[in-house]
Amino acid sequence: MDMVDQLPNLGRESEMLSAMGLNSMDDLFSDIPKAVQRSAPLDLPPPQTEEEIWRDAQRLLSSNVPVNSRPSFIGAGLYANHVPAMVPMLATRGEFLTSYTPYQPEVSQGMLQAMWEFQTMISELVGLPVANVSMYDASTAAAEALTTAVRVLNRKVEQKDTVYVSELVPEHRFSVIQNYTQGGGIEVKRLPHREDGCLDMEAAKVATGSCAVYVEQPNAFGIADEGITLLKNMLGENTALIVGVNVVSLGLMEAPGHYGADIVVGEGQPFGIGPTGGGPIYGIFACKQAFIRQMPGRIVGLSHDSDGQRAFTLTLSTREQHIRRHRATSNICSNETLIALMGAMHMALLGPSGLEILSTRNAAAAMLAEEKLLEIKGVNAAHPESTHFNEFVIRLPGSADDLCQHLDRRGITPGLPIEILFPDMSNNLLLVSCTDQTSEGDITALVAGISGWIEEVKA
Amino acid sequence: MSDIFAFNGSQEAGYAQPAPIADPDLAKARIPASLRRAERAGWPTASEPELVRHYTWLSQRNFGIDTGFYPLGSCTMKHNPRVNERIVQLAGINDIHPLAPAHHLQGLMAIYYEMQEMLGHCAGMDEVTLQPVAGAQGEFTAIRCIQEYHRSIGHSHRDKVIVPDSAHGTNPASAAMCGYSIIEIPSGEDGRLDLDALRAVVGDDTAAMMITNPSTLGVFEPDIAEATQIVHEAGGQMYYDGANFNAIIGRTNPGLMGFDAVHYNLHKTFSQPHGGGGPGSGPIGVKSHLAEFLPTPIVGRRPSEEGEIGAGDGWWYTWEEPANSIGKVHQWHGNAGAVVRSWAFYRRYGRDLTTMSEHAVLNANYLRHRIMNPSPEVREKIHAMPLDGCPADVVKHEFTLSMTPLVDAIGANGKDVAKRLLDYGYMSPTLYFPMIVPECLMVEPTETESKEALDQFAKDFHSVISEDPEILTTAPHTTDVKRVDEVWAARNLILRHPKE
Repeated sequence: MDMVDQLPNLGRESEMLSAMGLNSMDDLFSDIPKAVQRSAPLDLPPPQTEEEIWRDAQRLLSSNVPVNSRPSFIGAGLYANHVPAMVPMLATRGEFLTSYTPYQPEVSQGMLQAMWEFQTMISELVGLPVANVSMYDASTAAAEALTTAVRVLNRKVEQKDTVYVSELVPEHRFSVIQNYTQGGGIEVKRLPHREDGCLDMEAAKVATGSCAVYVEQPNAFGIADEGITLLKNMLGENTALIVGVNVVSLGLMEAPGHYGADIVVGEGQPFGIGPTGGGPIYGIFACKQAFIRQMPGRIVGLSHDSDGQRAFTLTLSTREQHIRRHRATSNICSNETLIALMGAMHMALLGPSGLEILSTRNAAAAMLAEEKLLEIKGVNAAHPESTHFNEFVIRLPGSADDLCQHLDRRGITPGLPIEILFPDMSNNLLLVSCTDQTSEGDITALVAGISGWIEEVKA
Repeated sequence: MSDIFAFNGSQEAGYAQPAPIADPDLAKARIPASLRRAERAGWPTASEPELVRHYTWLSQRNFGIDTGFYPLGSCTMKHNPRVNERIVQLAGINDIHPLAPAHHLQGLMAIYYEMQEMLGHCAGMDEVTLQPVAGAQGEFTAIRCIQEYHRSIGHSHRDKVIVPDSAHGTNPASAAMCGYSIIEIPSGEDGRLDLDALRAVVGDDTAAMMITNPSTLGVFEPDIAEATQIVHEAGGQMYYDGANFNAIIGRTNPGLMGFDAVHYNLHKTFSQPHGGGGPGSGPIGVKSHLAEFLPTPIVGRRPSEEGEIGAGDGWWYTWEEPANSIGKVHQWHGNAGAVVRSWAFYRRYGRDLTTMSEHAVLNANYLRHRIMNPSPEVREKIHAMPLDGCPADVVKHEFTLSMTPLVDAIGANGKDVAKRLLDYGYMSPTLYFPMIVPECLMVEPTETESKEALDQFAKDFHSVISEDPEILTTAPHTTDVKRVDEVWAARNLILRHPKE
């Protein structure tokens, strides 16, 4: 007999049905017209017990290769850094885990306060006054930042319905931007970069008079691009500067709000959760006051209760779909609150000085890896004049994909072929990413592995 | 009161980290001067002991399903099995990278494949993508696919999407984001879909109709097959909002009703915990004519060859790009962790997902019966009984009540009742939605509440609508804070802790 153990009323159906004057479960579905009723039972396997599911899950998931189970240099926006044990243990307390959106503030003060604290931390991190409680990921945050900017600034600019996006935004993020902007009739143009991997500032002048420019800092090559700090001055008041950040870099690198960014977005993931196969993670979204009534997502505000004591509540909901319907600023409803809560816990535990240390550990690991890799004959820096945060690109004497396959068989993940991010770029470029988990031993193994591969390529 | 901004502890007491593996001063000096952070971010330093207590205190000021009955209509707040949480802490999901080579991800891809197949089967759809990360994003994705379908057959002129006035707000918002104009059609007198109203607006400009069935009133739309026929004959596509899918699995499906596309809420029907607002997961299923437009990639498979161990199930899984894909709606592969939790949940039921839906419907009807039929002694004390939001012999997984008679009798409204229920230890039902039911409370008990819990809720509900009006209008009284001034919050917009 099938055994389902999640239904408290199993075996009590007739008792409950007869209380209602009904005879069978079929009576409960008598309102479904015959023509659309399903007659055959579901063609699915029988139910499993917790023990069987746990066993199957362990077997299936152990066939995946965890990033930190070996020397790994894969990143590109998702990083397998350490998350303190406190974070998942507290965030999965049932009161947080199993709550819905805090529409009833009187019994949701815990999550509301935690999100208000999160908004404060994101605001401090990026140097802008307002942050929401999360977007789905960095790509949707960037996309909705662009549509927000168009809504706010379109009246004031010459290049109507036009935005510019750096050519160094990888294909998988750019595709999301295209899907989110096409409906509004927004034209998305690209800004070129120079040989040194930085934004071509001369060419970027074309964006003056448009609604917005989206660039990333550090960019997809891991380059800390100084030009971006000058961009807002060049663009002027009415063109929004939108900067996508690596949140970990902000312990060492300047908050974009302090060099004029109007909106800052990014992947919050390194604070709070592992890469998790790409999700759930959370996008951050922060902006200047001028954008607040057009921004997407939920926002928590401070207030008081009828006794005058401090209380928090969701606010500015008249922007949202459940009130404004097709005139809403966004369709977003469910977001990534629980992961943002994990991020808040992680950021709180690090503290501002711990954040600087974490950032420094990332930068130091990349510095050491870059130094050691460039000592290998045949390996060159793709952007030798530029400086990097935790990722950099090397040029190999053969195909990066070939190297990855070669080293994979030896238990090393050497990085990501740039071709995966930018299909048009050379196949001998490899993006090498470091985290707080990168050890000297990992770098030694990588250097030995690449050296060995080059020997074989030559032979 | 615990306040993180009051901590200001010693910097030495914060979280300790290993030393950098290279000279930290040199590493810092590499950042160009103009890009070096001038001033540290400003939040206090706190130690682990302080923070564990802070977040525990906050959690105790938050109401979840684990705390008590959560009859929040339209949200399907069912029990979340704990083994699912244990599973997603495994390194084989928590520590895997979506851009790793496919042979590093065979176990995850096996789960994706199984979920694609299962979801397609349950909804009568041909292809499924797990990429959308929320119901609203699923709607957006499906409407994008429909948009590309129309463009591909030269029907770009179809620029309107029809929604009933009882639809979830995300439906019109998602279609509008794709660039469509929205036509909202009024429901009939009884709250059901009005075929004449539909006939009056369909035409050569109809791109799609979006509808949920059972509707947001919790009743099955008897004319659904006729509605799909009307829209199809006009050349439009039918989109099924799967928010209420928990009511019908195994008993009917959107494919049988004639729909072309559907989204699933894994965080409703398949028990991904809602986490205070998310994460969710909103896969979509489509009929074969829309499959070529799905976001990339979806998971395919072939028999594994000699030496390919993979997930150990005899198959080799591959990422496949649909021929005319709309591209991506999430930069990775969606909320993989949510998919894994929902896979574990599905495995708990297998083919008995039908029983799950039956019990969701049983519980809703039982609770409705208990609420609407108090004993004469109880009835005598009640100021005014609520009205059914929609007249029906049976409802599906949820039902709506109009509190208008109570307003007329004693001046206390739906919101007052909702707030008073908080005092009794319940989450409030969904309030004032759908908008077509005045003073609406929408109640969804789910299949994981016991008969005793339902009996007690009905009893307490009767008690609430028998109370002194003054108690109701000033409720809640026993919660962590009393009624919160939402107007003040919106006027003053204090959205972060003030800078010192």
